[in-house]
Amino acid sequence: MLNFLKQVGDYAKETAQAAKFIGQGLSVTFDHMKRRPVTVQYPYEKLIPSERYRGRIHFEFDKCISCEVCVRVCPINLPVVDWEFNRETKKKTLNHYSIDFGVCIFCGNCVEYCPTNCLSMTEEYELASYDRHNLNYDNVALGRLPYKVTNDPMVTPMREFGYLPKGVMDPHDLPAGTQRAGRLPKDILAELETQKAKEDAKKASVEAAE
Amino acid sequence: MNLAEGVQFVSLVILGGLMIFSALGVVLLSNIVYSAFLLALTFISVSGLYILLNAGFVAAAQVLVYVGAVNVLILFGIMLVNKVEVFSEVKNAWVGKAATGAVCAGLFGLIGTMVTSHPWAISTAPAAGDKAIEVIGQHFFSDFLLPFELASILLLVALVGAIVLARREFLPDLVAPQQEALTLPERPRELVAAGVRDED
Amino acid sequence: MNPGIDLQGSFVRALIDLGLPSGVAKTVWLPLPMLLMLVVATVSIFICVWLERKISAGAQQRIGPEYVGPIGALQAVADGVKLIFKADITPAKSDPWLFAIGPAIVVIPVFLSFLIVPFGQNLVITDLGIGIFLWIALSSIAPIGFLMAGYSSNNKYSLLGGLRAAAQSISYEIPLALSVLAVVLMTNGLSTIDIVNQQSGYGFLGWNIWRQPVGFVIFWISALAECERLPFDLPEAEEELVAGYQTEYTGMKFGLFYVGSYVNLMLSALIVSVLYLGGWSFPIPVETITGLLGVSESAPVVQLLSASLGIVMTLIKAYLLVFLTILLRWTVPRVRIDQLLDLGWKFLLPVSLVNLLLTAGLKLTFPFAFGG
Repeated sequence: MLNFLKQVGDYAKETAQAAKFIGQGLSVTFDHMKRRPVTVQYPYEKLIPSERYRGRIHFEFDKCISCEVCVRVCPINLPVVDWEFNRETKKKTLNHYSIDFGVCIFCGNCVEYCPTNCLSMTEEYELASYDRHNLNYDNVALGRLPYKVTNDPMVTPMREFGYLPKGVMDPHDLPAGTQRAGRLPKDILAELETQKAKEDAKKASVEAAE
Repeated sequence: MNLAEGVQFVSLVILGGLMIFSALGVVLLSNIVYSAFLLALTFISVSGLYILLNAGFVAAAQVLVYVGAVNVLILFGIMLVNKVEVFSEVKNAWVGKAATGAVCAGLFGLIGTMVTSHPWAISTAPAAGDKAIEVIGQHFFSDFLLPFELASILLLVALVGAIVLARREFLPDLVAPQQEALTLPERPRELVAAGVRDED
Repeated sequence: MNPGIDLQGSFVRALIDLGLPSGVAKTVWLPLPMLLMLVVATVSIFICVWLERKISAGAQQRIGPEYVGPIGALQAVADGVKLIFKADITPAKSDPWLFAIGPAIVVIPVFLSFLIVPFGQNLVITDLGIGIFLWIALSSIAPIGFLMAGYSSNNKYSLLGGLRAAAQSISYEIPLALSVLAVVLMTNGLSTIDIVNQQSGYGFLGWNIWRQPVGFVIFWISALAECERLPFDLPEAEEELVAGYQTEYTGMKFGLFYVGSYVNLMLSALIVSVLYLGGWSFPIPVETITGLLGVSESAPVVQLLSASLGIVMTLIKAYLLVFLTILLRWTVPRVRIDQLLDLGWKFLLPVSLVNLLLTAGLKLTFPFAFGG
């Protein structure tokens, strides 16, 4: 009998615990309702991609020397370099160059290794199309410059999270001229330069004294 | 005939027709699922007839018990059974059919004599209306106590039987052991007396 | 007891004064509350859908619908229009008749149950003697619709979903009915009006939630399971069953399931507010307020005000419960089918039986507090 009562008591305790945990969960969910939405209303507002954003690859036809380094460093040998050897000049002439962005993983190896810097990453990411073959960009398409979000009159550009002032979560309605958290690279550079100038002056004065 | 009586008459005709045709469908249709769904329709039209007779509680109980429980269980049974059997000729099948026919005819005769012999005098007492539940309750606990308790005992027996069936633990690793008649494959389990539990 | 506003009486009298016979006057009155209730139920879908979307968005730090109508209030209308214009596809080798009837059988009982939902002393379509029992009876029809839809779709996921829905419905009907029975035991009647009147008197202290806390929780869990809301939305568990019995449905037939589930949610919330939260009664009894202000209770203005207050109170309580379900939806993960049946048969059923026994005992011991 006592054993049975103990079982009932344990069961009741477990039930109470379960109810307590569900209550805790509910309070967490309720707490989330007090937080402000972080929504960016996409087609009307867009985030400004960061400087190192790895978007669609840009290609400059005239700089290319058809060395095929991009093909070798590519994890899947994706870029197609169509060149001919010109016997008179003893140089390769490039006919066509293409990258299929349906297969590209935007790792940036080709950009990294290109000896003439003819490849570069852009901030363009809206590549959607109705046919996957449209994603195979030839040298003309690769040579197009991306449209900057900040120049688009239809779009309200929004700063990304890392570019917001300290403690601010919402990119909307930021007062003009607010800086992001931390110091800007150019400030750091300026400080370093003044420091260096000071040290140089010190060294010069020491040398002069000797 | 005023408006209320007209509405009642029309509803009676509609409900009666529905009931008869759906009941015929239950018996005559070859698709068993249709039969089951039509059975629900039959029950609902019976409950509609109860409403016409000012018996709201009985009507609701009819819907709850017959449509909500019995019919759903029948449907469950039909949909969970997945046995396809090849049609095979049964010898002397006419015996069964004849027996069924005889039983049905007997039942029909019985009900027929009941219909003709019953006085069908309409009670002059006013209809209980909303107080019907109390009247039903009083009947249950006075002059209909025995059938009421018998029905609950029957339900209890069914409940215990269902639990016994559901608690059985099958042995999947035993391949078709030799069975005695009327036993089901079961893991040997010592019976524990109710209320006494060993320490663990 | 305050008789409240008798709309039917005044309407019929006004028509008789205009020279209509009383029978015709009553006949003219008959469809009006039903139509009004249909409109209320339909509008409640829009409100529920909007609340669901907005509160879900809030819980996930999104904004939710914003562009369709003011603050996205017409999103449900847009959804409905889209569903109406979609192609109505009947799958191959399905059963066209059962396929078409299934959704209707799910929806009709839900709308019929609004017959007994009271918004005031006389603001109810019919004050049936069997009241709350009618709701229980009608809600037991829905599983037939689920089975029909699941069977006729010619899809194994549909069939499994339909069977699950029916199993869930019939197993949670029992604790639901038992917890209602405990309330009925305290009321001495099944009528929804009586249930609310029995709770009025001491303001919010007299509500059944204080006398039936266990019953309230059981009822709410079972009502969620009956509505197939999360965490009990197994019949539509998308990871396992695609969408359960709705898998093969498109267009307005699918929309009917949608309508049915939201109206059922609203109905359950209303019934909970009637059974446990004092229905239309204000947390402080209206009689006390009028007594303090020194106004006669039967003054027409006071009556009008208290009637509208009653409607508002009922709706506020119901929508608070809807809010709670949506919060639960984003808090609790979906249970497994065996956990669901375990909870229903091994926990809710015995607990509700004990609750019923306790209520009966308390009623005999303290008849003044538990309805003699």
